[in-house]
Amino acid sequence: MFVAPPHRPAADTQAPEGPPPTRRLDRPRDLAALALLAERTRPVSSSRARVLPVAPPLDVLLPDGGLRRGTTIVVSGPGRGTDAGRAADGSVSMALALLAAASGTGSWCALVGLDGLGAVAAHELGIDLARLAVIPRPGVAWAEVTGAVIDGVDLVVLCPPFPPRPAMARRLVARARERRAVLVVVPGRAGWPDPPDLSLSIGEACWDGAGTGEGFLSRRRMTVTVAGRRSAARPRDHQLWLPSATGAMADDDPAGSEGSP
Amino acid sequence: MNRLVVVRCPDLLDEDEGGEALRLFAQVVEAVEAYCPWVTTVRPGLCSLPARGPARYFGGEDRLVRLITEVGVAVTPVEVGVADGLFAAVLAAQGGVIVPAEGTADFLAPLPVSVLGQPDLAELLNRLGVRTLGEFAALPEAHVLGRFGSDGSAGHRVAGGRSGELGGRHRPGGERRAAGSGAPATTTTTAAATAAQSGFWGGVSDTDARAGRALAAVQDLLGPDGVTIAHLQGGRGPAQRARFVTWSGRGAHPDPAPGGPWPGQIPPPAPMVVHPALLRAELVGADGEPIAVSARGLLTGVPCRLSVEETAWSAVTAWAGPWPSDERWWSRSRQRSARLQAVMGSAAHLLLIERGRWWVEATYG
Repeated sequence: MFVAPPHRPAADTQAPEGPPPTRRLDRPRDLAALALLAERTRPVSSSRARVLPVAPPLDVLLPDGGLRRGTTIVVSGPGRGTDAGRAADGSVSMALALLAAASGTGSWCALVGLDGLGAVAAHELGIDLARLAVIPRPGVAWAEVTGAVIDGVDLVVLCPPFPPRPAMARRLVARARERRAVLVVVPGRAGWPDPPDLSLSIGEACWDGAGTGEGFLSRRRMTVTVAGRRSAARPRDHQLWLPSATGAMADDDPAGSEGSP
Repeated sequence: MNRLVVVRCPDLLDEDEGGEALRLFAQVVEAVEAYCPWVTTVRPGLCSLPARGPARYFGGEDRLVRLITEVGVAVTPVEVGVADGLFAAVLAAQGGVIVPAEGTADFLAPLPVSVLGQPDLAELLNRLGVRTLGEFAALPEAHVLGRFGSDGSAGHRVAGGRSGELGGRHRPGGERRAAGSGAPATTTTTAAATAAQSGFWGGVSDTDARAGRALAAVQDLLGPDGVTIAHLQGGRGPAQRARFVTWSGRGAHPDPAPGGPWPGQIPPPAPMVVHPALLRAELVGADGEPIAVSARGLLTGVPCRLSVEETAWSAVTAWAGPWPSDERWWSRSRQRSARLQAVMGSAAHLLLIERGRWWVEATYG
């Protein structure tokens, strides 16, 4: 009978890796080729990119041409207080439209505190539902939950279920900055007690397509005012379609006038 | 973990038509039972018995193994092994070895991950460069749970010699909570394996791993159902077209686009908010008379004002529809309803009428 000899502990085989592959590639030309290859195979929205992409026309609207990591953006609308009011004022659509392009390039997104996401609409906006974590009912622990999500998710949309206290808001903003995540807040009537890096306010909106029974809702034209610090200090108004006839966002120009009869 | 002797009869693992294999196996079990009364048959051709008592009685594990082998081979070729826990003991029997007490992890370390009997897990681990049970066991437990779910976590504990067998399914909630408070989340060990592969072969990337850890932490706070992923499916109403499933930590898996026509489906854009519970609504005409939908699917009047949940009236500026839908007309739970899009200034709702009562089903937010 044979007794098994003791093997080396598994931890030893893990810690030191074999010779690093760069050792054999000492010639500068090889290294340059390798760097080029690394650049090509890199995920599009890597954790090193400072600005996450946004879909047009937001790219020309936002001061950095996209969402700068570590910043907080507040999206507000003329919501009339009620739950249905916050839902109807377009701020949720705008917040999710901000995510669409980054989500399409592989970034994880999360939606905290919105109970009843229209997943079909999110899909039509271009969001990859397989990488959208939906946390519909965070309850009283919403700030803690949002903090935990910020630790690992690139873009977090927060609809606070309870009015946020200033200290709470500051903690979340600081955490997003530290973790290089983008925090998009849809505060509704309660407001957000901390001045954001960027604010998008939705003004007048009107729906196309419906009449007196005929047709169907096809698109909404809305005015968005972008204001912020630094380069975006002067508020800018812009008109866009959200959603357009396909459900995605579109610029208010002749090219975007497809759809309604 | 129990120390077990496993007797494996390689010729009797498959049942034959005449039942000859089972009869021979019964003889083996009977012969072994002469030495120890607590023989458990694991499956045809495989039985186990506790090692500690009989080994003490017969003067050592190697003497016990020799005795059992002798009575076994009188019937059929047998392989006998001793180890802690059934999983390791079966492998020990295959190799005909006695694994020293507390030496389970070292014995398992050089074996390939495929011995866990989970082909999906083994394939994924191989792609990550984790080829042996020892390498798998060296990954931090919290990461394994976040990435591979409770099945993977059970395999991880077995690979590390901390659990005797894979057993049945584990409750996802209890598992996750236990692991979250356990091993600290360090990235150093997995980094070597994952960095080389990040995002390249699909399925598992650095971003997925980071998100997985964060979402597992949220599940610690809210319970497993607290984090969901939306799946699209066919359906008429906006609520039927999406299904929210509990996030399982298996990474992103793309959904096949729902195909097939759904008559009565309203064309895009879809409403941004689908109310989890329908909101009561009242829709009246210019004179305040309630509006309904006739049996022919037409509105009984011109909608003029809408009130949601008994709040203030707002003027209906435009509307589209109604679109009747007669669902499950073949069954008793037949439901006749109709949908109407109503625009009030900048706001737009999708209304549903059922049994003469209006509801706000969704909002174009």
